[in-house]
Amino acid sequence: MLKVENLSVSYGYVTALTDVSFEIHQGEIVTLIGSNGAGKTTCLMAISGLVPKETGKITFLGIDITHKSPNRIVNMGMSHVPEGRQIFPSLSVHENLLAGAMGRPGRTKAQIAEQVERMFSLFPRLKERRNQGGGTLSGGEQQMLAIARGLMMDPDILMLDEPSLGLAPILVEEIFALIQNIHRQGKTILLIEQNAAMALSIADRGYVLESGRIALSGTGRELLNDQQVRSIYLGG
Amino acid sequence: MEYILIQFVNGLCQGSIYALMAIGYASIVGVTGLVTFAYGEVMMIGAFAAYYTFQYFADQLLVGILASFAAAACMGFLVYKICYERFFDKPRHISLICTIGFSMLVKNLAQILFGANTKAMPSVIQNFFLDIGPVRINAVQLIIVATVIGLSGALYLLFNKTQAGIRLRAVNQSRQAAALVGINVKRTILFGNCLGCGIGGTAGMLLAIYYQSLSPTIGSTFGNKAFASAVAGGMTSIPWAAGGGVLIGVIENIGTAFLPNSYRDVFAFVFLFIVLLLRPEGLSKKEGIRP
Repeated sequence: MLKVENLSVSYGYVTALTDVSFEIHQGEIVTLIGSNGAGKTTCLMAISGLVPKETGKITFLGIDITHKSPNRIVNMGMSHVPEGRQIFPSLSVHENLLAGAMGRPGRTKAQIAEQVERMFSLFPRLKERRNQGGGTLSGGEQQMLAIARGLMMDPDILMLDEPSLGLAPILVEEIFALIQNIHRQGKTILLIEQNAAMALSIADRGYVLESGRIALSGTGRELLNDQQVRSIYLGG
Repeated sequence: MEYILIQFVNGLCQGSIYALMAIGYASIVGVTGLVTFAYGEVMMIGAFAAYYTFQYFADQLLVGILASFAAAACMGFLVYKICYERFFDKPRHISLICTIGFSMLVKNLAQILFGANTKAMPSVIQNFFLDIGPVRINAVQLIIVATVIGLSGALYLLFNKTQAGIRLRAVNQSRQAAALVGINVKRTILFGNCLGCGIGGTAGMLLAIYYQSLSPTIGSTFGNKAFASAVAGGMTSIPWAAGGGVLIGVIENIGTAFLPNSYRDVFAFVFLFIVLLLRPEGLSKKEGIRP
């Protein structure tokens, strides 16, 4: 479904990604793990067209999207929930969701309203706060809003960048349960995480990024049991 | 005392035009993320578009509003194409200097095309007076205030009740997040810039009607007042920018009750100076914070 081939990205003289290749099939949860600064976020931003690529090719649903603009890529059915949530702080919760619906033009008002209701049943807490400004929500609620906003366009693939960042452990569990729930409803998911144990335990497959290169890959279970992964990312 | 009251009413009227200018300015800065110095010239073009429309086509206010808005919005398109489009990823001062150059070019071209002398703005508003106690309000003032309130209301609806409004506000708050929900950021910036310039053009026409005169060099005073109002209000907050505009209008007019008229502009900028000393972030409170 999504295929990244030989992707290299650099910011000025600093190389962020070197020759990264990976693939995601329909219906999978794939996770990309790695320590801070390994290039995980850069990788997602390159797929979404937010940073220029030096070399490499990215294909989505069989179409070359390497040089497409971000909004075009989104319109094709790829939703990217960015790191640090980046919700619109002075738009209300409801308006944030409506903004999320822009990714799929051509739907009627009724269809969009229906999708909003679906999000509210998935995230009941957002419904209580529908007229509140996005910036007044707590961290966990903001993360839920960011995911809900990403789902508003009913994407084919959902890319999540560090959804557990800065959340209390109990909320992290809630978010991961949600991701599995979304996956069960038929969405393909690319998950980026520093919380490697959690991510690998729900993922079909995983890739380990180390200073901009893919160091290891395998199924979630394989990586969880890998000696090297255990010592570096799982704390022994 | 009566004189001060009269000046207060005059100030409200003039301030309402400043408010409209500031609304346009804040819309532009909000969506482009860049300060513009071409705004005064855009307003001047709007005023001239209305002037020629009144001279040669129809002397009706509504037609003038449309003509000034359309001409200034076209200027906004040019500003976008010349000063912004290529420089989004470049350092911000490039666009900024570009708008300064653009404003000089427009000002001088306008002197060649329209003539450098001051022209009399045709009076398109049937005059009558309304006496409320000691204060006499004339039709021009009433209609200007009504126009400003009408336009602001329309803008409020546009910003808060439409898809385009959500797009504009989303781009205003985070360009990256807006791109990631599928908003065409460049087109939204173009739209917001044209909209803000159009509003400025109409404000320029109203000022010309208020002063009953216009010339190609009025732009810099206009632009500075718009800038001062928007900065006082906190730069990108539209309601506060409007508030800043009204305040500056009132302060200017009450000030001239005590000092000669030639000190008029001093008040606007001394006021701005004081605001920035006391509240560097402008009058508005920062967004995203719990009240």
